[in-house]
Amino acid sequence: MSNSHLSHPTPKKYVQIAIVLGVLTAIEVALYYTEEIVGSFTAPLLVTLAIGKFVIVVGWFMHLRFENKTVNRFFTGGMILALILFAIVMFERASANYF
Amino acid sequence: MTKILEPKKQNSIFRRPSSETGIWSWITTVDHKKIGIMYGYAAFFFLLIGGLEALVLRIQLSQPDNNFLSAAEYNAMFTMHGTTMIFLAIMPISAAFFNYLLPLQIGARDVAFPRLNALSFWIFIFGGIFLYSTFIFGTAGAPEGGYLDEEVSWLGSAPNGGWFGYQPNAGLKYSPGTAMDFWALGLQILGIASLISAFNFITTIINMRTKGMRFMRMPVFTWMTFAVSFLLAFSLPIIAIALFYVTFDRNFGTSFFLVEGGGDPVLWQHLFWLFGHPEVYILILPAFGIVSEVLPTFSRKPLFGYAAIVFAGFGIAFIGFGVWAHHMFASSISTVAQAGFGLSTMVIAVPTGVKIFNWLGTIWGGKLKLNTPMLFSLGFIGMFVIGGLSGVTHSIVPADTQQTDTYYIVAHFHYVLFGGAMFGIFSGLYYWFPKVWGKMYNETLGKIHFWLMLIGFNLTFGPMHWLGLQGQVRRTWVYAKETNLQFWNVIVTIGAFIIALSIVVFMINWIFSKRNGEKAPFDPWDARTIEWSIPSPTPVWNFSTAPNVKSLDDFWHSKYDEDEEGRAVRKPTADQLLIDLEEDGLNPKEEIILPNPSYFPIVLASGLPLLGYAVIFKSIALAVVGVILILSGSFGWGTEPLEEGH
Amino acid sequence: MSTAHAYPHEDTGVETRKLGMWVFLSTEILFFGTLITTFMIFKGKDFPGIKLTDVYDIPFTSISSFVLLMSSLTMVLAHNALESDDQEKTRVWLLATAMLGAVFLAGQIYEFTEFYHKGFELDTNIFSSSFYVLTGFHGLHVFIGVVLLLSLWGIGQRQNGLTLESGMNLEFVALYWHFVDIVWIVLFTVVYLI
Repeated sequence: MSNSHLSHPTPKKYVQIAIVLGVLTAIEVALYYTEEIVGSFTAPLLVTLAIGKFVIVVGWFMHLRFENKTVNRFFTGGMILALILFAIVMFERASANYF
Repeated sequence: MTKILEPKKQNSIFRRPSSETGIWSWITTVDHKKIGIMYGYAAFFFLLIGGLEALVLRIQLSQPDNNFLSAAEYNAMFTMHGTTMIFLAIMPISAAFFNYLLPLQIGARDVAFPRLNALSFWIFIFGGIFLYSTFIFGTAGAPEGGYLDEEVSWLGSAPNGGWFGYQPNAGLKYSPGTAMDFWALGLQILGIASLISAFNFITTIINMRTKGMRFMRMPVFTWMTFAVSFLLAFSLPIIAIALFYVTFDRNFGTSFFLVEGGGDPVLWQHLFWLFGHPEVYILILPAFGIVSEVLPTFSRKPLFGYAAIVFAGFGIAFIGFGVWAHHMFASSISTVAQAGFGLSTMVIAVPTGVKIFNWLGTIWGGKLKLNTPMLFSLGFIGMFVIGGLSGVTHSIVPADTQQTDTYYIVAHFHYVLFGGAMFGIFSGLYYWFPKVWGKMYNETLGKIHFWLMLIGFNLTFGPMHWLGLQGQVRRTWVYAKETNLQFWNVIVTIGAFIIALSIVVFMINWIFSKRNGEKAPFDPWDARTIEWSIPSPTPVWNFSTAPNVKSLDDFWHSKYDEDEEGRAVRKPTADQLLIDLEEDGLNPKEEIILPNPSYFPIVLASGLPLLGYAVIFKSIALAVVGVILILSGSFGWGTEPLEEGH
Repeated sequence: MSTAHAYPHEDTGVETRKLGMWVFLSTEILFFGTLITTFMIFKGKDFPGIKLTDVYDIPFTSISSFVLLMSSLTMVLAHNALESDDQEKTRVWLLATAMLGAVFLAGQIYEFTEFYHKGFELDTNIFSSSFYVLTGFHGLHVFIGVVLLLSLWGIGQRQNGLTLESGMNLEFVALYWHFVDIVWIVLFTVVYLI
């Protein structure tokens, strides 16, 4: 076992993180209902919140923050690759009729 | 129970040939060497079948307006030829090399997850059987109102929508019957096998390297295995989902790829080639690795530009993800996309060119030993360059739209996949023959094989360039007499039979040499990498003690010093070193614990084809049996004593 | 320990099985990426017919999303309890996680049934097909996760209890479970909210 376990947070910390996650979810749902007020900011805000929750769970609950570089690079690498590839596909499909 | 090998007993019980230990030892084995050998034989069997299919195609095309095959049979044959060669022949032969060599090259005792390794092999076997059972259970009807109104024979009851399965052609409307379901589900199963082995190899390379085997000391073949595993791990999921969609479209009434239901056929092309182009590099990179081992050994020089070759390999793997749409220039993708993918296709020629120049630099000024593996490696370079050059011509979009669906394309990718991948693979088969069997192959027969194959190959695929430019269309079972295409078509067919003859020579050589060949000396090639520092055939425990690697080409440096002018000078101690190594390798000084054989991989794997049949025959009962097999396999796996194996 | 375990390796500091799990999860990104991409492409299409927005129930899905999110907390608490070798607590938290997962699954089954009654079926149109295949694939992952959690709990009931070192270890399952959770974080936003 690696030493990285020593730096893992305490249960109290985990509960605090979960509360943050819960609050973020509540904001998300609220945003859905206030779409008429927030307008075109809604979608970017929702995406940002989802990314925030994603990073919190991966970083703290999955301990990626405390994990070895190799693992970190592999996971983020896969993530970035997927984002680039699928962004291209979506853009191409959306634009095929215009360009 | 843990198998503890007492240093004395091992020699008598566990030495090869393992035929002494019976068929169950093969079925339950988790030894990477046995799995590698089984992969090799299974893949070669499918290579023969795929080759027969190719010969049948060529007989049909040797005459204009021929009726040796019906249109339906021709469709089935070219589909199965492509699918077989890619998924059941070249990929698993590469997997055979990975399995056998990877742990040896990094100085490990086995892969990271030996039982998972057995699992992926058995899934591959069941996937292959499943796919080929289409000839018995599959049906392929004629599309309504189509021109295929004849009775379809058993030969035509195989998948017939092409290995690329373009939609909606491969959909239920235009490919009725169950044949294309066998294709979609068969590839799904085979994909699972490759995916599992990719996890296994990645983990093995990262975590199982012996002491001192830093990343930049790994042999190039290991590096290429690493790159291929990345490609597999990141590209197979995409095709898996796309194949799910096909299965749903054909069986459960969805319309992911059907325009009439709002679906998008071009999306299939995107998803297919997002996988399909990395797949091309999955097929070719192992050959790059093999050639990068063979050339330095027989040029008696270190590999020129080791780091450049490694990084070029990863460059290819990475850029290989960004060129997929060059397969789709003839579809309705946007002009912006066409320009972008044309550019990226030109760019990928750069790292490939780097590799070619490095190989040439390796040969340059070397003392070449032109034996069979070396000849195949040199042949590889030549043929691959031709294929590469015709490939770059496809990056020019207007030219590509002209060549699309003609024999020019067929010529191009056979130069890359046969002239490239297969030549590299044969080079490797000869090169490591002594390692695996402890015997030498017959050099004369090997050379006959090489020259026959080189001639046959070029006769087959060279003329296809001009046939294509003259306008002969791919995937079409006849051409009219008036087109004057017959002459070159006859030459092509003759070439194909010469290739078949060369394969016969290879098989004779293999069978004869394995049985009666001379005993291979220790280190027969005066090689560079550590898999040659252990006895041949490889003892079941690989390394009796973990090697301590101090440099790149460690084994070579233990035999040779450099003089002032940088020439290699054999150390006086080298001969004694080899004797000691053989002695040590056969007689471990400490007890060795190997992972236990297990029944569960094959049990688990056998459930998957049943799930496939369940979808095709709409049978809940089959699904239940399949799930039970999978669950009981997993349960047995999970509850086997944990200390041994994984 | 035995000699085989002492076979020396270049140390990367990551336990081999955990590394394998991370590699697996990295490829899972591509699985879900493909599904999400398809869903998004179809979502943007101007095609007549019933849409997800006509049938869904945001408050209900919000609650089940919250349930799954909290199961990540119980999972990490189980992991934490095992690190301090508290077998009792580990089992409790494991069971809690499995139960929360099961509640989420039940919610999904209920939701699917409701949608079916409203005429939003698998083969209705591209919106429904891409919705069911995407969320169904995630649901399958949750189901497998629940099975894994329950078998861990079962192993924990036996004499020796759970350890972090060997067997189908808890860390391994925890990673998988959290991953299933983060996929839902993305799906909830992409499928329901936007």
